[in-house]
Amino acid sequence: MKEKRTLMDIVWRVVLYAWALTILFPLVWVIYESLKSNPEFFQDIWALPSEFRWQNYSKAWNQYGFGQSLLNTLYYVGGSLVLGLFFTTINAYALTRMTFKGRKLIWGLIMLSLFLPGINALVPQYVIMRELDLTNSLTGLILLSSLGESVFYLMLLGGFMSSLPVELEESATMDGATLFQKFWRVIVPLSTPGIVTVGVFKFLGFYNNFLAPFIYLSDPKKYPIAVQMYSANKQMEFTADWVTLFAGVTIAMVPSIIIYILFQRLLMEGATMGAVKG
Amino acid sequence: MSDSTAVKTVSKLGLDKANTQKWIFLFIAIVPPFGGYLLFTLFPNILSVYYAMLNWDGFTDAKFVGLSNFITAFQDKYVWRALTHNLIFMITVPFFVIIISLLLAYLITNKTYKENKFLKVLFFFPNVLSTVVVALLWAFIYDGSYGLLNGLLKFIGIDIGNFYWLGNESTALASIIPAWVWGGVGLYAIIFANAMLAIPKSLYEAAILEGAGHMTRLFKITMPLVTPIIRVSALFLVVGTMKGFEIILIMTNGGPFGSTDVIGLYMFNLAFGVEYRNYGYASAVGMILFVILVTAKLLIDKFVPNKGYEY
Repeated sequence: MKEKRTLMDIVWRVVLYAWALTILFPLVWVIYESLKSNPEFFQDIWALPSEFRWQNYSKAWNQYGFGQSLLNTLYYVGGSLVLGLFFTTINAYALTRMTFKGRKLIWGLIMLSLFLPGINALVPQYVIMRELDLTNSLTGLILLSSLGESVFYLMLLGGFMSSLPVELEESATMDGATLFQKFWRVIVPLSTPGIVTVGVFKFLGFYNNFLAPFIYLSDPKKYPIAVQMYSANKQMEFTADWVTLFAGVTIAMVPSIIIYILFQRLLMEGATMGAVKG
Repeated sequence: MSDSTAVKTVSKLGLDKANTQKWIFLFIAIVPPFGGYLLFTLFPNILSVYYAMLNWDGFTDAKFVGLSNFITAFQDKYVWRALTHNLIFMITVPFFVIIISLLLAYLITNKTYKENKFLKVLFFFPNVLSTVVVALLWAFIYDGSYGLLNGLLKFIGIDIGNFYWLGNESTALASIIPAWVWGGVGLYAIIFANAMLAIPKSLYEAAILEGAGHMTRLFKITMPLVTPIIRVSALFLVVGTMKGFEIILIMTNGGPFGSTDVIGLYMFNLAFGVEYRNYGYASAVGMILFVILVTAKLLIDKFVPNKGYEY
């Protein structure tokens, strides 16, 4: 059945494009403004740059300490990702494909976290971190971020793993595999799609994480990129150096854009999985 | 030693080895993540109830004050102000997100425009950005002298002078809403679109054969089958809006003059703000938020119909 193009279609397309515009317009605007000079910008915010001032980007890089915060970000995000992914995977395996006393109890306690909004726990959590001397430390943040149950990811991976046939472990045992080998050489490779999905989400979560680093890091030299941009914006209120800030924001978006281009289908599928399960 | 004893000993040794392996594995697999959960999440939540009954600045000795923090909180006009703002956000943000997402999802799935695939990818993009970037982008839009919004208005002939939308008590709160909605729509548009795609085409075809028009198909087939998803999404959105404060922290930090303050932010500033620190009172305020959230969840469970339709 062929759809007739009606007048309403024009309306609908306008609606779609209008929304698309609200997304593209600010982004494109920030990018081309970042290539202007400040006087140019102040004069006319609409004009296209007369020349491409790429030096704004090197200035932003140096002024906002992107080199340092990039290293911080790599350390924090990378460390949390590796540790967190490992523990979530092995945790999901133990909870879904092994049997042991207390498994139900542990699952129950983990499910409890769905009811906890988390905000009221910020203060005691801070005190505990302080007692453990983990404040103002990226390593402390890594520990905080990677150790702990993320119910959403556990359920995602757990669901994945439970759908694998039970016979897998049995045949591996007959081949003389140890438990760890069963996990590492059989289940993990088969769960790769799930692990990659969780990995990408965790990456974004850690890269975009603002609150925890903001709370725990008092030394600006330890700031990851997200917090760095926040403090750059605060600086800008004094220096009125808009174009450099625009350049900084654009730089900060680059990793997100790259990850998005690479993994966008994965992200869109994974995002709906959790919510639809309800 | 007889043969059977030897066999028994060997197999017992084998079992023991497997058992030890199992416990070591379980130790690695459970203790760090679960231990971290207990230490950094569950235990603090329990502790916060205790903290709420203290008068403590985090350094000197704490003083037990029982329920007086709660009494103070109920009389604290800032708490009520923040809660009012929470209510406003809680109603407007989920509402707009759902309406816009539903509309976009419907258009993307039911219209065969060539650009739909590209649009789908574009619409999800804001959700990949950090809250900091979203907040900053919108702060740029709202700026008084150089903001996009004022620029656009000037373009169509309206000159508001250098009106700073986020700096004016009467407009700041309303200004945050579009930013929040903007950052949320993409995800829900995709969720709703996938839900709509999951509806079997045969249902529509049967309806068309019986002469059902667009509107009928929309309201008798699509909407009822998508309603459960809407319900779950509404729950997530309401709870998220209730406890969310990061975007407000970055855009206005509750200002100007507390006109955008929300309960989460109020608690945050009480505990980690630049001025006077009161962990006890902050925890009490946090407990109030906790109670509100649990109540909200129960209310939604009760009032939004949970009629799933089988097909």
